[in-house]
Formats: sequence, C-alpha cells, structure tokens
Amino acid sequence: MGEQAFEFGLIGVYFMKLLPTLRLTLLIVVGSIAVGLIAGTLAALPRLYRVPILQRVSQVYVSFFRGTPILIQLFLFYYGLPELVEPLGLDLSRTPALAFVVLAYGLHSGAFISEAIRAAVTAVDRGQVEAAYAVGMSGPQALRRIVLPQALVIAVPVLGNLVIANLKDTSLAFTLGVMELTGKAQTLGLLAQHFLEAYLSLAALYFIISWGLERLFLWWERSLLRKQGVAALPRLGRLGRQALMRRFAQEARLGREGASG
Amino acid sequence: MIKLSGIRKKYGHHEVLQGIDATVQKGEVVAILGPSGSGKTTLLRCVNFLERPNEGELTIGDFTIQCKRARKQDIYTLRRKTAMVFQQYNLFRHKTALENVMEGLLVVQKMPRDQARERSAQLLDKVGLGKKLDAYPSALSGGQQQRVGIARALAGNPEVILFDEPTSALDPELVGEVLAVIRTIAREGITMMIVTHEMSFAQDVATQVLFMDEGVVVERGTPREMFSDPKEERTRRFLKRIAPEPIYHI
Ligand SMILES: Nc1ncnc2c1ncn2[C@@H]1O[C@H](COP(=O)(O)OP(=O)(O)O)[C@@H](O)[C@H]1O
Ligand SMILES: [Mg+2]
Repeated sequence: MGEQAFEFGLIGVYFMKLLPTLRLTLLIVVGSIAVGLIAGTLAALPRLYRVPILQRVSQVYVSFFRGTPILIQLFLFYYGLPELVEPLGLDLSRTPALAFVVLAYGLHSGAFISEAIRAAVTAVDRGQVEAAYAVGMSGPQALRRIVLPQALVIAVPVLGNLVIANLKDTSLAFTLGVMELTGKAQTLGLLAQHFLEAYLSLAALYFIISWGLERLFLWWERSLLRKQGVAALPRLGRLGRQALMRRFAQEARLGREGASG
Repeated sequence: MIKLSGIRKKYGHHEVLQGIDATVQKGEVVAILGPSGSGKTTLLRCVNFLERPNEGELTIGDFTIQCKRARKQDIYTLRRKTAMVFQQYNLFRHKTALENVMEGLLVVQKMPRDQARERSAQLLDKVGLGKKLDAYPSALSGGQQQRVGIARALAGNPEVILFDEPTSALDPELVGEVLAVIRTIAREGITMMIVTHEMSFAQDVATQVLFMDEGVVVERGTPREMFSDPKEERTRRFLKRIAPEPIYHI
C-alpha cells in the first residue's frame, strides 16, 4: 500500500477531524503553564532574595531544563520517575501518561518562566523600591504595589513567547502515546495514507492557535500599558524592551518566531 | 528636634561614617556640604534606615532608636516620621503624579481615598503642578518630576525631609524652579537636611551648615561663619574649589 495522490479537499476534512483533539492539547498547555507558573515563581524567589542554598538548587533546576532536549526530559519523567519513587512505596505504573507530560512540560516551562520573572523584577529600578520604603511601605507592600505591576508588563510578552513555544512542544507528547493533535494527525494520515494532507491541516491548526495566542498576549500587554500610562517603561524604552525580549527569545531558542512585540 | 549621635557606618573594612553627631531644631534647614565620596548620601540614608547604621542613636521628635537594636517596627515608625527626596527623583513610573503622592497616604497611613486625593492635589498645586495631576512621570520634565517628588515627601507630614542633591540631575535651566519650591517650604518651617552643591542656595536658606569629609563632620556653623570665615583648611579648600569667586561678598 503506497501513499495516495494528494487530495486538496482532505485538508479541510482532516482539519475538522482534528478539532476535537485540540481540547487535549490545550489541556496540556494550560496544565503545564499552571505548573510552570508555580514552579517558576518558587524557583525565582530564592534567586531574587539570594537565599543561600535554595539559590543553588534553583540554578541547577533552571540549567537542567534549559540545557537538555525536551524529548529527553519527557522520557526521563515517563520512564524514570516511577523507578525513582518505587522504593518510597509509590506506585506510578497506572498513572496516565498525560500526568507525566503535564509535569515534564510544566517544569520545563517553569525554568524559563523563573528566568522571565527574575529579569522582569530586576528590570524595575531599585530607586523606586527605596522610594516606597522611604514613604514607610513594608517589603511586601513595595513588591505588590510598585514592583510587580511594572514587572508584569515586562514579563507578559516573554510569557507569550513561552506559551507559544509550549504549545508547539506539546507535539512531542505523542511519543508517549498521548493522543494530542500531532498523534491524532499521524493516525489520520496513516489510516488513509494521506500524510501530507494531515500534516498540512495540523500545521494550519497550530498556526491559528499560535497566532491567536500572540494576539491575546499583545492585547494583554497593551491594556496593561494603557493602564500604566503608555510609556510606563521609559527606563527600558522600546528598544530596550525589544532587546530584553530578544534575549529571552534566544534563550528559549525561539529565534524570531512568535515575537509578539 | 532631630538628633544624631555617634552614627557609624561601615562597608566591609571601609568606615564611611566615623561617628557623626548633629542636632537639628524644629524648622531648621541644615545644608550638608562636602566633596564627592565624603559620606553625605550615606548619612542621609542612615537617618531613614535605607542604610542601617552600625552604631549610634537617632532621635526624631519623641522617638529614639538605638541603631544596633532597631527592630522592623522601629524602622517603620522612623520612616513615617521622615521623608526623602532623591537625586534621581525615583517616582513610581506606573503611577500618575497624583497617584505618586497618594500612594503613601493610602498604603501606609490608610487614609480614605477621597481624603488622600484631596490632600495630594493640594500639595501638587502648591509645587506648581496643579495642572499635571494625571501626567505620568515619563511625560514630565526633570524639574516637574522632582517637584512631584517633593509633594510626595510632604504628603506624610514628616518631621524632617531629607534631600539628597535634589537638583544635581537637572538641566541647569530647570534648577531654579525646584530650588524655589524648596525655598518656599523651608519658609513654612519644615525641618530639612539637604545635601547640595548649590552654594548660594545653601547660604540663603540654611540655618546651619555641616561640612563633611572622609566620613567626619570637619566643621559646622551658620552659613555666615562657614562661607565667609571657615576655620578649617579643608573647608576653605573645598569652598574655593566649588566657588572660586568668594561668595561671602554677597
Ligand atoms: N553600598 C555601598 N557599598 C560599598 N561602599 C559604598 C556603598 N555606598 C557608598 N559607599 C562608599 O561610601 C563612601 C561615601 O559614599 P556617599 O555617601 O555616596 O558619598 P557622597 O554622597 O558624599 O558622595 C564612598 O567611598 C562610597 O564608595
Ligand atoms: Mg551623594
């Protein structure tokens, strides 16, 4: 059975067939970004506050997830974690693959998110914090009222890039047998021997979601900026902000794709 | 009354303040002069504990704090009784002029919003920015930003305002408007400690002048004494360097 001749109309058909699977892919994205936000915040704190030992732990965590391929991380979690916790009397053999996927992607995103949080918080100049202290604010008050609102504006575009990267990375989850978009497309293509049509509709779907996410984050950034006076980041300026984002885009190995500013 | 006794501050082995004493009566304006690196900024920052002094005692009004034993609560109390105007203004960049002034009133003093807004608008009006309430710092000139900084410092009704070279970052043509505002509030009897290189301003406004060098107060006196007849060689050399024209003729 060889590959069938290209049928343009199938792209639309496959597209519709893929749509229901979108739910699973988005579930992985939302779940892992949620895990990533928690892990990223926890990892950023000891480095921002220079907590002696935890700071090292956080560095090792970030280096590991940034320095190894995500596919390997997936395998390590899926095959390694059950072995690791077995001596502790925990049986993970029946845990669905999806859980490992969400955990692996979550911790992976968390590493990048912690770097984004760190950069955004340090970008708010120290002088404003001192001014907050000088009027009598406590540390947490200064953080909540002065630092975080400004850091958020800086972090949102970076976060947008990370979410889009995460969406595309989820296409590897099928290697563990999770029937998300890519897995489903492959199956559809295999059944009828129309791989090209299946992958084209898959690409279209990823592109639409990425584009939507890009718009969403752009809108979020703009509405935050409007609320804070459009030029709320004069210290960085537009060029500075772009440089910051480029640095993160590079670090996230995103290159120029998905740059939302 | 403000009283500093034996304030010492070390960074590593470098003792930047080597036991500073000063007394400032209510309504006084103390000008602090001295070459760069002599510890003027550090001294001001010790008064509101942005830097923690290693030793010494601070009294502000009826509140005394042993620097070594200061607890968090003491530091908050101290900071409510002081205010600071920074060389780089340090306005909250995501807040309007009005919000900058209101912030401390809302968060620290827990003043009701309406009342805070009214007081802040009045203060901005007083520094000549009644028409700029809703402007963000990025839309204001340096002189305007610094005047917002002064209104913010006035808001909490502090017993002393600490100015660290309030006009040093400004373009020359904007210095005047800021000095005029400081002069006005000085006349209203607000106690101030002000680090400045504006000699004629210091001479005009100050009731007391401290000259610092290498972490000690080398000489102190009234502006008249200090500018026209400095006793110490170091003071004389500094004044000569910073104002080659003898200003004691004024
Ligand atoms: N955070 C710091 N760490 C180490 N040294 C400092 C620090 N802040 C100030 N210094 C040093 O303390 C001395 C006094 O500084 P400063 O108070 O800023 O002087 P001034 O305001 O009179 O120019 C300088 O030698 C400066 O290098
Ligand atoms: Mg200084």
